[in-house]
Amino acid sequence: MSDKNSGLIASLAHQGISRRTFMKYCATLASMMALPPSAGRAMAEAMAAARRPSVIWLPFQECTGCTESITRSHSPSLEGLIFDAISLDYQETLMAAAGHQAEEALEKAIEENKGKFVLIIDGSVATGLDGAYSCIAGRTNLELLKRVAPHAGAIVAMGSCAAFGGIPKANPNPTAAVAVTDIIKDKPVVNIPGCPPIPVVMTGVLAHYLTFGSLPELDKLGRPKAFYGETIHDRCYRRPFYDQGKFAKTFDDEGARKGWCLFELGCKGPVTYNACATVKWNGGTSWPVESGHGCLGCSEPDFWDGGGFYRALSMPADPLKMAATAAVVGTAAGVAATFANRAKKGAAKSAHETVTLADLEK
Amino acid sequence: MNEMQFLTWVRGPGLDIAIGIFLLGVLWRLIEIYTLGRKQDVAPGRQRDGASGLHTVFRRSVPPPGMVRKSPVTYIGGYVFHIGLAIIVFLFAPHIALIRDLTGLSWPGLPSQFVDLVTVVTMAAMVVVLFDRINKPAKRYLSTFQDWFTWTLTFLPVLTGWMAVQHLLLPYTTMLALHILSVELLLIFLPFTKLFHTFTVFGSRWYLGKINGHRGVPV
Amino acid sequence: MGIEQIPIHVDNGSDGLSGNASAILREVADMLDRLARTGETGAIDLAALPLTPADKAWLSERLGKGEVEISMELNGASRIHETAYPGIWWITHLNPMGAEIGEFIEVTPIPDMVPSQSDDIVRGSESLNFLINDLC
Repeated sequence: MSDKNSGLIASLAHQGISRRTFMKYCATLASMMALPPSAGRAMAEAMAAARRPSVIWLPFQECTGCTESITRSHSPSLEGLIFDAISLDYQETLMAAAGHQAEEALEKAIEENKGKFVLIIDGSVATGLDGAYSCIAGRTNLELLKRVAPHAGAIVAMGSCAAFGGIPKANPNPTAAVAVTDIIKDKPVVNIPGCPPIPVVMTGVLAHYLTFGSLPELDKLGRPKAFYGETIHDRCYRRPFYDQGKFAKTFDDEGARKGWCLFELGCKGPVTYNACATVKWNGGTSWPVESGHGCLGCSEPDFWDGGGFYRALSMPADPLKMAATAAVVGTAAGVAATFANRAKKGAAKSAHETVTLADLEK
Repeated sequence: MNEMQFLTWVRGPGLDIAIGIFLLGVLWRLIEIYTLGRKQDVAPGRQRDGASGLHTVFRRSVPPPGMVRKSPVTYIGGYVFHIGLAIIVFLFAPHIALIRDLTGLSWPGLPSQFVDLVTVVTMAAMVVVLFDRINKPAKRYLSTFQDWFTWTLTFLPVLTGWMAVQHLLLPYTTMLALHILSVELLLIFLPFTKLFHTFTVFGSRWYLGKINGHRGVPV
Repeated sequence: MGIEQIPIHVDNGSDGLSGNASAILREVADMLDRLARTGETGAIDLAALPLTPADKAWLSERLGKGEVEISMELNGASRIHETAYPGIWWITHLNPMGAEIGEFIEVTPIPDMVPSQSDDIVRGSESLNFLINDLC
């Protein structure tokens, strides 16, 4: 990684990214984040001049899919190049150093950039057995997070595992996995959920931090509003079919071929806040619904335990267990009541029948 | 509990409990009511045209002559919200998906904009009917806690469902969960309140019609 | 099967105009007036407002085409043209797949992106001198 003191634009230039390309990128990034056009210009200037920001990336209980999402798009994306251009001081998957050298690099990065570095975390934090389920260099994820986080300038929880616990936290959660925000309570954390998250969201947050020195506006769950402000369903190009009541019933029926709404096949678009429908994937090629599969809701908390990927939101999340028993008990209660009523009526009737002639003559 | 867990609970254990209590209550009460029986009327029956159980079932669906003019809110409001509720419950596509999942039965739905319009009209009719109940001294006098309670139980699912679709007040996920929860409350209380008329309305009409028919009185 | 084959017909009334296009036209006129008087530049992000295809066509037709047209290859094509009204520029950015990723109207003597930047000029001069030195 080249000299640290030159601006971001210089290292981008080394990779063949011209200033105009960078300006274009910033203009569209600002547009995507619903910032005014002037912010695009400000971003381009601030980012170009910025000393390459130091980034420490801690991988916890994760699958490296988040790293893949950013660094391995089909063609070199600008997100990937900007990611290369930052001073990535610690990232086990990508760094050349290993063992003690890697851990030294981490300590050095913390000391040199105290209060300024961006801390990116992917993966959830195991807390079971004091965190022993996931260790790096003899330290548990929990220890590592508590060591690094207090010195970070900004903390980004990358992916659904870091943001909400994700798949490790799915039932029965053997490692007692939790989200970063369950551990870090005294600092704002930007959640960028998704499995994997959309790469441009990370650059958007980074650009905002470098340009304005602050984090973008976040929603209740700590997600940047610019990208997670609306549901997949509301921005979906298949929405008109939902409104017309035209649904694919199976993955190979006429409705599926005609591109009708996938709600009945379990699409979680209505309860999923993300930007897939507008930003799309793989350089704008496509996205899950466009390729014919419903949204899994991967950027929402506990999406893994949301009642099945192929069950419509209006369907029961679990099979009904009590219905048969309840029907039997109800029938029994009805029959019991019948006998009770019959007995009562019979008693009343026989009470009346005991009227004698003597009684009537009185 | 976050909103997704809330939604999953109401779609899972919550729904299971509600449908369980609903089935239990409905079977219990239906069996109890229909096995109650009546003392046999030993008087010879009188025949008169239009005096039978079947006649009454249909006749009571139409207002008696002059009554619409005399009490328009009760009749028109009543019709509008009953028909509206039927359309919303049985012809909105996500509801049909639920019914198909539970029973295997399925039929085509209506466009969601149309159902949306029906919902607004239904809610308006229900509010008007409620105000009429408050305004008219006789109706107010006759109303018990159960009347206000069952109105609320019926109104809440319509309101929360509409607000969820329109993205009002709360995020869709939370609103949808509240909608399902309100339906579950309705299901739980339906067998044990006057809302049970959804099951007994035609039976009791038949019963009244038959008793009076035996006496030669078309009611 | 592509999106264009899916038979969705969005009906926006007879002409398809939402009313936002004429509002944008007024805003552009206001910006141009300010540019003429004070030299202050302005820009509008066309993605920030809901515009129908008919709205865009209407706006583009009203503004017309001027003398200058610039095409650039910046990780995907970008096109800039001056409209019939000097000082108003229409900018379209495409991604490498050819999909539109941004559309702006800039009110300025020349869009920021066009002139060569001084740092780049310095770097260009250095490279050219390297080349000449190599030749000798």
